[in-house]
Amino acid sequence: MQSYFKFEFLHFFFNKKNIAVYVILLFFSCYYAMVVAPSYDPIEKVDKLEMEARYLTREDFLNSVNTERMHPSTAYAVMTYPEWNEYEKGRLDALEEHDFKKYAEATSKWYTYSDGMIYKGGDFLFYHPRYYTYGNNYAREDGHFAYLSAASRYEGYAEGDYALSIDVFEERTALQTWQRLLQSYLPFILIVSCILLSADIVLKDRRNPTLLRGFPMSPWRRLLVKGGVALFGSILAFIPLAAGLLIIGARNGFGSLDLPVPIYSHVDKSFSLISLSEFMLQNMALIILWFVLIISLLLLTSILIRNEFANLFIGFAVVIGEFTYYTRGIGFIREVQWYPTSYIQVGQVISGYRNYVYESNALTLGNGATVLSACVCIILLTVFIISNLPKFKQL
Amino acid sequence: MIELKEIGVRFSGRDVLKDISVVFKPGEIIGLVAPNGTGKSTLMNVMMNYVSPQTGQVIFNNGLGYTSKKNEVKIHQLISMMPDQSDLYNYLSGREHLKIYSSMWNSNKQLIDQTIAALDMGSYINKKTGTYSLGMRQRLCFAMQIVSDTQMMLMDEVMNGLDPTQVEIISRILEKKKSEGKTIIVASHLLENLEKYADRIFFFKNGELELVSDLSPGFEQKELTTIRIEELPDAVSKLLCKEFPELDIQTLPNQVTLINVQGATSQQLTRVVAYLQEHSVTEFNLGKVSLLDLYSMYYQKA
Repeated sequence: MQSYFKFEFLHFFFNKKNIAVYVILLFFSCYYAMVVAPSYDPIEKVDKLEMEARYLTREDFLNSVNTERMHPSTAYAVMTYPEWNEYEKGRLDALEEHDFKKYAEATSKWYTYSDGMIYKGGDFLFYHPRYYTYGNNYAREDGHFAYLSAASRYEGYAEGDYALSIDVFEERTALQTWQRLLQSYLPFILIVSCILLSADIVLKDRRNPTLLRGFPMSPWRRLLVKGGVALFGSILAFIPLAAGLLIIGARNGFGSLDLPVPIYSHVDKSFSLISLSEFMLQNMALIILWFVLIISLLLLTSILIRNEFANLFIGFAVVIGEFTYYTRGIGFIREVQWYPTSYIQVGQVISGYRNYVYESNALTLGNGATVLSACVCIILLTVFIISNLPKFKQL
Repeated sequence: MIELKEIGVRFSGRDVLKDISVVFKPGEIIGLVAPNGTGKSTLMNVMMNYVSPQTGQVIFNNGLGYTSKKNEVKIHQLISMMPDQSDLYNYLSGREHLKIYSSMWNSNKQLIDQTIAALDMGSYINKKTGTYSLGMRQRLCFAMQIVSDTQMMLMDEVMNGLDPTQVEIISRILEKKKSEGKTIIVASHLLENLEKYADRIFFFKNGELELVSDLSPGFEQKELTTIRIEELPDAVSKLLCKEFPELDIQTLPNQVTLINVQGATSQQLTRVVAYLQEHSVTEFNLGKVSLLDLYSMYYQKA
């Protein structure tokens, strides 16, 4: 088995298609690090001018407002602006003093207070205008999530002992960039890479049948070894991606694995904090489970359909499967937590964002691991039964 | 030991193998001879279980048969089939191919260098096989099977693309493997060569195996059975038939005339030789019928 693993491993890394996948990942990673990442413009950034403008406008209003016979809106502003400005002033002063801990503390309070005012305050207060994009019917909900998330994150910064900086606040450091990407399209890239790397792991043998089919090894064991090699190769896809991480790290710092990451709980509608290392580990666990599922599925289709395009088609169908039923809030009426495809956006599942948009409290790491593992077991059992049929021929 | 029991294979309504029953013993080289497309490779594929027969079974040592995948693995430890040279990995060296086969069958690692030396492959074995000539590739495929060191070896067209020196070297290695007690089954078109080292030779026709010695009694013994004349004029041939009606005289499609003198007396032999010389036929052999003649007789009948 060990020799066959070595043999498959050798061929996996001599495979031109696989080399191309790694090169493309490396290119993508470097391009992202050098072109896309520097132009990252977060909505919740440290913008001193914006803070000053807000502060001065409100301060000016408070100084000049006539408090007799006020309109209800004016009265509301007079009532809320002093505390709001107090936090804003705290942020500005902290920035002036380069006291990032103090800035984090004030900012956390500012976000909590702002969200409380905007979300519960009716339709005359708004979140940052960039949430209100064309066609987004859920801008208010997006803003609510972002503000509470930021409040929780800044609270973490304020309470912990971290080397804080503007880059940390704006999540520009290498590890935070990785964390952000895990919550956007990085899981897709990794899973698609896994599909591309594994699509021909069984069917490539058809090019050298007389050399391989007499090996004294059962088809089941061969398939297991092939799956193992594909899994190993897919995990190695992290290496070219890490090149971009190094570039970002050299420019913006690497950040710390202890930095807090806010995790949303739909049960009590609040955020709690875990460390970045824990977040990464949970993501890696779920992504590797996805790799195992995809590879198992491709092993099954390879012995059933025996066509590489069919493998690609089925693999990509799994990747985009969630789009066929995803509608915001559908988790409230449908048990989406039992669909494996609901866990494809790994970082968003771990961070709780999928629960928020699905309005479900069941899309958790535990449920994801259970559903994906159950699928893996069913698929591998099917592969085991088929590959042990006396008439089964792998080639 | 390999025992084929009533093996039947049918493709598209045609019997490729028809109730074949035969036993191949250890320490034996078996030759399979037939024109292309007559079922030699199918028979080997059945022995390897690459093709499942519709009827019959293949039984190995201790009654082991292809009844489960577990048994198939055990059987494949015992039997190997020479790979096709077109299936080599062009980006790997010859030595890497040998290492793969050696490690898969967990054979003695020293066999690798011994085989490289025996086949005189040292000058190119570390180069990528993509740079090899047909003969070099063929030698490598043979070497791969030798390093697998299985008890039974199936070789389809092992001598293809080899020069006479290499054919001789490989023949010697086959004889050595035979002396080690291995069962070797060779399908080949190099009939003269096969005749030299094969213990039993089978012809393949209409899905059936025919032992050559059954077709031509005495073929496997070294006795005088035949006068062999190449390109005997028709007129002389007719006269010969008239003069010696008691002898079996036949002209093969390859223009070789065979006079069966098995059991003939020395006087009869002298008369035949004298008669040939009278008719200016001076080039003939006295010996046994060759495999080439039998092939022509068997497959090229009008």
